[in-house]
Amino acid sequence: MTRLAAAVLLLVLVAFPLAVLPLAPVTWLAGAALGVGGVGVALQSVGIVTTGAALAVIAYALGLVIAHPAPDPLTAGALGATLVVLLAVVHLGGRVQGAALGAGVMAGQARQWAGVVAAGVLAASVITLGGTALGPVLRGRTLPVVVAAAALGVLLAGGGVFALVTAREDAAAGDRA
Amino acid sequence: MRWHPTALNVSLLTLAGWALFLGVVTGRPDLIVVAVPLVVALAAGRRTSRPPTLRVGRDVSTDRVFEDERVTVTYTLRAEVDVPLVELLEALPPRTHVEAGRHHAFFRLRAGEEVAWAFTLRCSGRQRLRLGGPHLRFWGALGLAAAEARYRAPQTVAVYPHLTPVRYPPRPLRTQTFVGNHVSPAQGEGIEPGDIRPFAPGDHVRHVNWRATLRLGTLHVTQYHRERNADVVLLLDTLSEMGAPGATVVDAAVRGAATLAAAYLGRKDRVGLIEYGGQLRWVRPGSGRAQLQRVLDTLLDASVVFTYVTRDLELIPRRILPPQALVVALSPLLDARFVRAAGDLTARGFDVVVIAVSPVEAVRAAVPASPAADLAARLWALERRAELDAHRRRGLTVVDWDGVSPLDAALLAAQRPRLRRARVR
Repeated sequence: MTRLAAAVLLLVLVAFPLAVLPLAPVTWLAGAALGVGGVGVALQSVGIVTTGAALAVIAYALGLVIAHPAPDPLTAGALGATLVVLLAVVHLGGRVQGAALGAGVMAGQARQWAGVVAAGVLAASVITLGGTALGPVLRGRTLPVVVAAAALGVLLAGGGVFALVTAREDAAAGDRA
Repeated sequence: MRWHPTALNVSLLTLAGWALFLGVVTGRPDLIVVAVPLVVALAAGRRTSRPPTLRVGRDVSTDRVFEDERVTVTYTLRAEVDVPLVELLEALPPRTHVEAGRHHAFFRLRAGEEVAWAFTLRCSGRQRLRLGGPHLRFWGALGLAAAEARYRAPQTVAVYPHLTPVRYPPRPLRTQTFVGNHVSPAQGEGIEPGDIRPFAPGDHVRHVNWRATLRLGTLHVTQYHRERNADVVLLLDTLSEMGAPGATVVDAAVRGAATLAAAYLGRKDRVGLIEYGGQLRWVRPGSGRAQLQRVLDTLLDASVVFTYVTRDLELIPRRILPPQALVVALSPLLDARFVRAAGDLTARGFDVVVIAVSPVEAVRAAVPASPAADLAARLWALERRAELDAHRRRGLTVVDWDGVSPLDAALLAAQRPRLRRARVR
């Protein structure tokens, strides 16, 4: 069941770059992403699926560079959400393989994924709107200001990611598990 | 218990990094937007609250089973707060298989909710089955964080060797004083006819042998053999073993010893046990179901223990090895010390029967099949047959048993004569 869902999500993921530019070399990269991702889905390996997904993102970027379409934040947000759900599904599939599932487990997970995806799309919309609003203000500014803002952004993002990954919370453990 | 980030974080970070990098390099805002749901997912996976708690209860259907019988383990989980996803895994001891249900499960529980998780295990080898309690892993949102714990409540289930019915256990040459099922050479009350003698005052009329009386012309009565019990001491060789774990010659010998103990105790005999190996352990002869339990419990722990110390059977007290006892030795006869001990017992006047458990079948099952292995097994079997013949020539009563087929078949082939049978001529 989780394999089938992951396979469908992988097909959707590969369709994004092909929708931008259904020509070589995007098709080659998309094909490679499908092959690698397919192996990862079959083996329920998050690492291999990540590799395939990265190839799909590269193919999407290549398509954007070659075709030069107008910015489409809706499609991009959908691509990001697909990536999140694909990895989550493959990760869950690998964990529950051969295990008994209690009532409501899959429904609860689906609700979680839907919530995170909704939050992601909302955040993407906010950032897009913010960028649209800030664009005219930053237009015409000197290069050092842009570089400084970018460096600050990178620093903040790096610090935030580090804090996210290393954050731990202790709790008491007794006879209760 | 604390939350730990999982490898999924790295995957999301990798993809977010690729999207951001490509976005900066190509100058396309779409790629920056691609990274946003990934970063939001990372943020959503962060756990700041303490992991949830569960109350775990366990119920095991029985604490004593025989080989190939089932044990049902039921866990009851009760959540005090909402538990989005909890994973449970009960590690299986060796030679144990899940017969029904799963020993690995996922549950989602709301506050105050209680669920039951059950699975049935089949135990395929004698052992003390130790159930340590399940490992628990609480999963955070999207599987980005996990907290692990262990429910520790060790419980042991005794898995006794399988008992097969035995109709022809080796018959003892000497009996004891209590009532039993063995025909004693002594005359008295019983149902087995013995000699015929002239009638004497005090004889019961129902004992008059009318056929002999008519032939001989005077009153004759039939005498009967008493039915008495016997003392049986099972001597188990744990000096050496061969074969795959769970199917060694010691396992086969233990199975045979348990079967014989049950058979003799069912015939009202007193049964004792001596484990002759690296450790010298014994069970004093006794009778009844409690004695069978004692013997089975001792057999459960029988194993080969390496030691440089050689213990002699002379160390064993007389009450453990009574002089009139039938000694049934179960051994692969691989160790010269055991052969010597069995010979000593025979020389000391004990009634000794050696059940030679063949190591050929156990080793044959443990090695891959090949023509060379077949040839080696056949040669070994021939060599072993010659060795058993040599033991028989030295006065040992040896019963050859392959350890796989029913013990009764091997014992039937080596039936001993009855103690005494009177014939009217």
